Amino acid sequence: MSNQVAQQYDKRPRIKEQDTVKRKSPGISISKYISYLFLIVLCIIWIIPVVFGITTSFRSQSEVVSSGFRLFPKEWIFDNYVSILENTSTAPILRWLMNSLFIATMHTLLVVVVISITGYGYSRMKFKGRDTLFFTLLGISFFPGVVNLIPSYKIIDALGWVNTSWAMIIPGLAGMGNIFLVRQFMNGIPKDLDESAHVDGAGHFRIYFSIILPLIKPVLIVCALFSFTGSWNDFLWPVIVFTDVDKMPVTAGLLLLQDIYGNYRMIGQLMGSAVLAIIPTLLLFLFAQKYFVQSINLNSGIKG
Amino acid sequence: MPMKKKLNLAPAFFVGPHVILFAVFILLPTFYGIYASFTKWNLMNEPVWVGLDNYKTILFDSGSTFHTQFNNGLKNTFIFVLLSVPLLIVIPLLVAVALEHKKVKGKSLIQSIIYVPGLISISAGALIWLLLFNKQLGMAGNVFGSDVSWPANQPYAWILIIIITIWGGVGGNMIIYRASISGVSQDLYESAEMDGAGTIRRFTSITLPSIRFPLIYTFVMTTAGAFNVFGQPLMMTDGGPRQSTHVLMMYIRQLAFGNGESIAGMASAMAVLLGLVILVISALQYYVMNRNAA
Repeated sequence: MSNQVAQQYDKRPRIKEQDTVKRKSPGISISKYISYLFLIVLCIIWIIPVVFGITTSFRSQSEVVSSGFRLFPKEWIFDNYVSILENTSTAPILRWLMNSLFIATMHTLLVVVVISITGYGYSRMKFKGRDTLFFTLLGISFFPGVVNLIPSYKIIDALGWVNTSWAMIIPGLAGMGNIFLVRQFMNGIPKDLDESAHVDGAGHFRIYFSIILPLIKPVLIVCALFSFTGSWNDFLWPVIVFTDVDKMPVTAGLLLLQDIYGNYRMIGQLMGSAVLAIIPTLLLFLFAQKYFVQSINLNSGIKG
Repeated sequence: MPMKKKLNLAPAFFVGPHVILFAVFILLPTFYGIYASFTKWNLMNEPVWVGLDNYKTILFDSGSTFHTQFNNGLKNTFIFVLLSVPLLIVIPLLVAVALEHKKVKGKSLIQSIIYVPGLISISAGALIWLLLFNKQLGMAGNVFGSDVSWPANQPYAWILIIIITIWGGVGGNMIIYRASISGVSQDLYESAEMDGAGTIRRFTSITLPSIRFPLIYTFVMTTAGAFNVFGQPLMMTDGGPRQSTHVLMMYIRQLAFGNGESIAGMASAMAVLLGLVILVISALQYYVMNRNAA
């Protein structure tokens, strides 16, 4: 494993040397243009709905209905957002957003605590049956989640969590996916570090907190991003556990909204609500994306 | 000696809390779900054991609505899987390879643009796409000159559902492939280039074999995820036109949590059957891909 790490660090200077050597192979430039063309077309298709959603939220209903399809409004108005924020009874969007924010933030914080501690246990501690336990839980967690959907509702009901945020914050902490990623990442960190700390008399909590935790920051940030967006965008579960309009998160709310506003009577407001629902995950992504590539190499640790 | 005892307690602190969470929120409901599939249950009262009755009705009683619903739901779920999964593997792979090209600039911007729809919830995304493909107000009529209502006619209803799925789903696999491809040793590519291997040759004989594990992983996970499809058809078509996009998860939710008395036992049996389908197909994929690659 440490060999692989060393290899990765070795790679960088070598690439630089190669770049300074001028090579003009025609194959490279053709494939370059094909790559560019493909990526640019894809980017345009990918971005149009986002731009369209945003700009439509700044158009008046009469303009939307009368002017046909336009990517940009003739006249930019803010009325849609004003009405969205003023509606606090039938469609309390601000309330839904706050609910979602609370749920996703709490869930993410708890996920980070649980996966880093549990990952440490499975990667760094020696106890009987450790790997058997890990792979048994991992195997069971592959069993399709559909089967536990209905009983999960029953459990949430028994805990008195129906129509509360806990219904969305806690059950997801049981998942194995992120723990797998963290354990994978931790196995890639040389053991010498914590072994020498052990010799110096440091206990597991000290080693976890002051040696391992700082080193696994990249993978924790990516898992945090996955957890936040997963929780923010979860749809099936909140539609099942929330019936109280004031308590539900924004995804379940938007389903209601489609019924309330129906038939595209208030398109600008509908789009504005969709746009507001996108903002938090977008901001988090912009912050976290630089950690992406270095954290999710599924190849590492599996070859070795 | 007391020192040693203390050390043995520590793992319980680190691993224990999660094991409890796992037992309560995954293990218990899974077993209970399987048990409930052999019962008549309305979610309120105690389940009543009925043996294999639910399964017999769903699988063999051609006069029962549950039988028709299950067949239709499973068929539509399979259609969704077959249409979406290949695209959700191939497009991200092409993007990742194109992004690895040495001369391509603006990598992180392109990556962000393609990933962003993955951050958008299905309900928010669906509202936007429905408007974009609205007959009067969106592009379908005004740009493509189509005069049918897309969500209400086939094959457009499926096309809409697949488009929004691909749009939102490409980013995740792209990140995994990019990360794995960037871990492939650059030396391999350089020596292949010296030997005169072209772009396609380098892709098939270096890139693909080196990312074998991530490929199997994403293929299995994407397929399993696709079998659980629910939000896209619910938001885009509500199962229409004429139930032709009504997927199994929508029936399961309707039976267990819909209006009227809950038929959770029957819904659980459908869920177990769907679970078995997913399990068998995942195992098959893993087995075949692992054998072919070895």
